[in-house]
Amino acid sequence: MNDDNAVMAANGGDASSTITNPGDKDIILDFRNVTKQFPGVVALKDVSLQIRRGEIHGICGENGAGKSTLMKILSGVYPWGTYEGQIFFEGQELKLESRSIRQAIEAGIAIVYQELTLVPGITVGENIFLGKEPLERGAINWDKLYADTQRILSEYKLDIHPQAIVKNLGVGKMQMTEIAKALSENAQILILDEPTSALAETEIEQLMTILRTLKEHGVTCIYISHKLNEFFAITDTVTVLRDGHVITTQPTQDLSVEKLVSYMVGREMTERFPESHRQPGEIVLEVEDLHAVDPEESAREVLKGVSFNLRKGEVLGIAGLMGSGRTELAMTIFGEYGKITHGTVKLEGQILHTKSSRDAMVQGLSLVPEDRKRHGLVLIQSILRNISLPNLDRFATWYKIDDNAELKASRSFAQSLAIKAPNLQVLCNTLSGGNQQKVVISKWLMSNPKVLIMDDPTRGIDVGAKYEIYKLINDLTAQGIAIIMISSDLEEVLGMSDRIMVMHAGRSAGTLDIAEATQERVMSLATGIA
Amino acid sequence: MNTTSNNGSMQGVVSNLTKQFRANIQTYAIIVAMIFIWILFAIATGGLYFSPQNISNLIRQMTVTSFLSVGMVLVIVTGNIDLSVGKVAGFVSVIVAQFQADIWNMILPDQPLLTTILSVIVGLLVGILIGAFQGYIISYLAVPSFIVTLGAQWAFNGGILIVTQGRTIPANQPLFSWIGQGYLRPTAGWIVAVGVIVALFYSMFSSRQKKRRYGFELSPLYMDILKTALYSVLLVGYVAIVNSFNGVSIPVLLLAISAVVMSYVSNNTRFGRYAYAIGGNREAARLSGVNIKKNVFSIFVVMGLLCGVSGIVLASYIGYGTVAAGQGYELDAIASCILGGTSTLGGEGTIFGAMIGSLIMASLTNGLQILNVPSSWQYVVKGIVLILAVYTDVYFKKNR
Repeated sequence: MNDDNAVMAANGGDASSTITNPGDKDIILDFRNVTKQFPGVVALKDVSLQIRRGEIHGICGENGAGKSTLMKILSGVYPWGTYEGQIFFEGQELKLESRSIRQAIEAGIAIVYQELTLVPGITVGENIFLGKEPLERGAINWDKLYADTQRILSEYKLDIHPQAIVKNLGVGKMQMTEIAKALSENAQILILDEPTSALAETEIEQLMTILRTLKEHGVTCIYISHKLNEFFAITDTVTVLRDGHVITTQPTQDLSVEKLVSYMVGREMTERFPESHRQPGEIVLEVEDLHAVDPEESAREVLKGVSFNLRKGEVLGIAGLMGSGRTELAMTIFGEYGKITHGTVKLEGQILHTKSSRDAMVQGLSLVPEDRKRHGLVLIQSILRNISLPNLDRFATWYKIDDNAELKASRSFAQSLAIKAPNLQVLCNTLSGGNQQKVVISKWLMSNPKVLIMDDPTRGIDVGAKYEIYKLINDLTAQGIAIIMISSDLEEVLGMSDRIMVMHAGRSAGTLDIAEATQERVMSLATGIA
Repeated sequence: MNTTSNNGSMQGVVSNLTKQFRANIQTYAIIVAMIFIWILFAIATGGLYFSPQNISNLIRQMTVTSFLSVGMVLVIVTGNIDLSVGKVAGFVSVIVAQFQADIWNMILPDQPLLTTILSVIVGLLVGILIGAFQGYIISYLAVPSFIVTLGAQWAFNGGILIVTQGRTIPANQPLFSWIGQGYLRPTAGWIVAVGVIVALFYSMFSSRQKKRRYGFELSPLYMDILKTALYSVLLVGYVAIVNSFNGVSIPVLLLAISAVVMSYVSNNTRFGRYAYAIGGNREAARLSGVNIKKNVFSIFVVMGLLCGVSGIVLASYIGYGTVAAGQGYELDAIASCILGGTSTLGGEGTIFGAMIGSLIMASLTNGLQILNVPSSWQYVVKGIVLILAVYTDVYFKKNR
C-alpha cells in the first residue's frame, strides 16, 4: 500500500509527476518538492512526502536534519513565499500568509511544541479557551467554559481537572492540556514535536493511549522524536530525514531500530565525532552535595543534592531529561542563578564564591549558555563588540578602550575558531547558528577559563559546524581546560565525553565512565528508574 | 561587497548614495524634516526666522534642554527613562538663584568670582545627589525608572514651590549672568570653529586609516570628505551668522563640550559599551560579566549632573529662579533623543543624533514663538511631534 511512496521518496522522485489523483482522499497532506534556504545553509532540499489521513506518521532525523524547519513551514511560522515547492492539505494548496500560527490553527493544523505555550498562572480551562472564551452578554460564561473543557477532556480521555492551575501540574499533564487546546480548535492534523523528552515512563504510556484515542477519532498525527523505540510503539509510517532530504518513507512494520539508525546517520557513527586522545589530569572542580533554591521562590528547591568532580583536560558530559536541573546547575555554579543552601563547590581546592558572572569569570569559570540568542549574544551588535564584552578590562582603562588591542585579540580568536564572516564588524544577527555559537565560545575563551561549561553547545547547528565545535572541544582539552558539556543529544554525550554524570529531578543520579555507558543505562538513570 | 569603492563614475556615485541613504534612512529623514521645518518657518515669518539675532537666540534657547538630551541618550539606551529632568533642572535653578540672591550676600559678601564658582559647584552637587538618589532606587532597589522619576518629578515640583515660596528669585549678578548670557568674542569664536573643523577632518582621516588597517568596509573617500565638508560649512555658517550679532553664546560652547565628552564616553569607554550591551540584550550582558546595577546607577548620576548644568544655565540665562522653572523640559529632552534615532527599545542611539533632534525641537519652539502661537498650542504641536517620532522609530525598527 505504501510501497509507491517509499520507492518514490527513496529515489528522491518527483511526486508531482505521479499524480496523487485528486480523488485520492486518503492523502491528507502532500509535500511536493519543498525547499527552504537560510543564509549559509539549505535546511530542506526538495522534500516530497505524503501523510495519509488518520495515520500516526513518525518523522525522525538527527538535529539539523530539517524536522523542525518542515514543521515550521507546515504551521505557518515560515509563511508561503519563504520556501519553494508546494504543500497540499486536503487537496488544496496550503498558503499560510502570516508569520503566526493562527492561520494554520484555523486551517486545522495544530502543533504542540517541546516548549509549552501555556500561561502558568491560570487554569486548564482558561488556557484551552484563551482568546475564544464563550461569552454571555459580553461577560465570560464560566459554566459553559468549564463544561466544554470537561467535554473535550472526557472525549479524548485526558485525565486532568479542568480547574487545575497549570503551573501546579506536572509536565505530562501540561502537555495533555496543550493537546486538549489543539483539539478544541478542531485540529485535523496534530503535530507533536519531541513530546516525550520531559516525560516519565508512566506519562509516556498515557500519551500513547491518548494518541490511540485520537486516531480512533480520525485525527492525523505527525510524531517527531529522537527516541526511536517509540516509533515502534505507536506509528504507522516513519519518514527519515537527513541533511534536509527525505531518505525514506516506509510502513513501521517494515522497519527496525537498526535500519532507522542507518538511514538517519548514513555513515558509521564513529565518523560523527573526531578522534580524541585525552589525558585527564588532576581534579580541578569538586561539587559536593549541592542544594540550591530558586532565587525568587525560596520554597522551591531546584538542586536537591548534586555531587561530581571534574579533572583537567577532561570532558564531563551531563545528561538528563528536560527539567532535570542541568541548566540550573550550570547557572548556579556560575553565580547567576540559584541560592546555594547546602553543599560546596571547590575550584582547584578553594571554595568557590560566585555572586555574579564576573566573579566566576575572574576565578576562571566560564559558561556558554543554552540559549545563545537570548543569553549569549547582543544580536544587534557586531562580532567584535560581542567577543570583547566580558573582556574589556584587558584592553581598557577607565577613560579609554585600546581599539587596536581589542581588535587584535578578538581577531585571533575569531580566526582560530574559523568564524565565517567578511570582517568583525558584521552584526551577529546575520550569522548562522553555528557561527553565532562560535562567537559566544570565543568570548568566553578569551577570558582564559580553567573550567568551561557548555550548555547544549551544538543545539540547532548544522552538522558540519557541529563537527568543528567537537574538534574545538578536543583542542581545548588538549590545552588543559576542563569542560562540562551539558547536552540533550544522547549520542553527542556518548560520543564526546570521558565520563557522564546523569541528572534526574535535581539530583545527580549517577556518574558513568564512558566505557560502561550505553544509551539504555543513561536513559534509565535519567528517567529515575535505575 | 568590496572593501573600498572609489568608483568615480556618475553611476557609482548614485549607487553609493542610494546605499548609504537606505542604510541611514532614519537619520536622513530627520535632516530632511528639519530643513522642511526651517523653510516652512522662514516663509511664515517673512525671513525673520533666519535673522542673525534669531539664529543666535534659537541655538541658545536650545541649550538648556539639550544638556538634558545629552544625558537622556544613555538613560534610554539602557532601557530606562527619566521623567524628572525638567523639574530637577528647575529645582537646581531655584536653589542656585537662592544662593545668588541671599545666601552668598550673607556669608561671602562682595566676592563675585568666588560666589559664582561656588554657585556652580552647589548646582552641580545638587544635581549629582538627586541623580544618585534616583539611581540608587532604580538600580539597587529595582523600582522601575518610570515610577521613580515620575514620583521625583512631583516631589521636585513641590521642592521648587517650597524654595521660591511663590516668588521669583533674582539671580542677575553680572559674573553669574555671563554663564547664560555671555558671548565669545568673534575672534575667539573663529578660533574655536577652526579648531573644531581641524578636529573633524583629523578624526575622519584617522578613522578611515583605522578601518583600512582592520580590513573593515570603507565608504568612498569623496563621500567622507563631502560629509565632513558639509558639517564644516554649517559650522562656519553658524559662526559667521552669530558673529554678526554678538558672537558664539557661552551656553552653546558648554553644550558642545558636554556633547563631545558624552559622545566620547559612549563610544570609547567601557562604561559606554556596557550601557549599549545592557540595552541591546540585558540578559546576555548580565551573563557576560557586566555589572548592570553599577552601570545604570552611574548613568543616572551623570543625568543628574547634566540636570545640574542645565539648571545653572537656566538660572543664569533667565536671570531668575522662577516657579515654573523646568516645566515640560523632559518632553523636549525625550523627543530630541527619539527624533535623533535613540530607540525606545533600548540599545541604540547617539549623542549626535540627539543634538539634531534637539535642533528640530528648538526650531519648532522658536518658530511657533515668533508666530505668536500661544504656548498651549505649542504643547499640542510638540506632543504630536513626539508621538510621530516614536511611531517612525518603531516603524523603522520593525522593517529592518
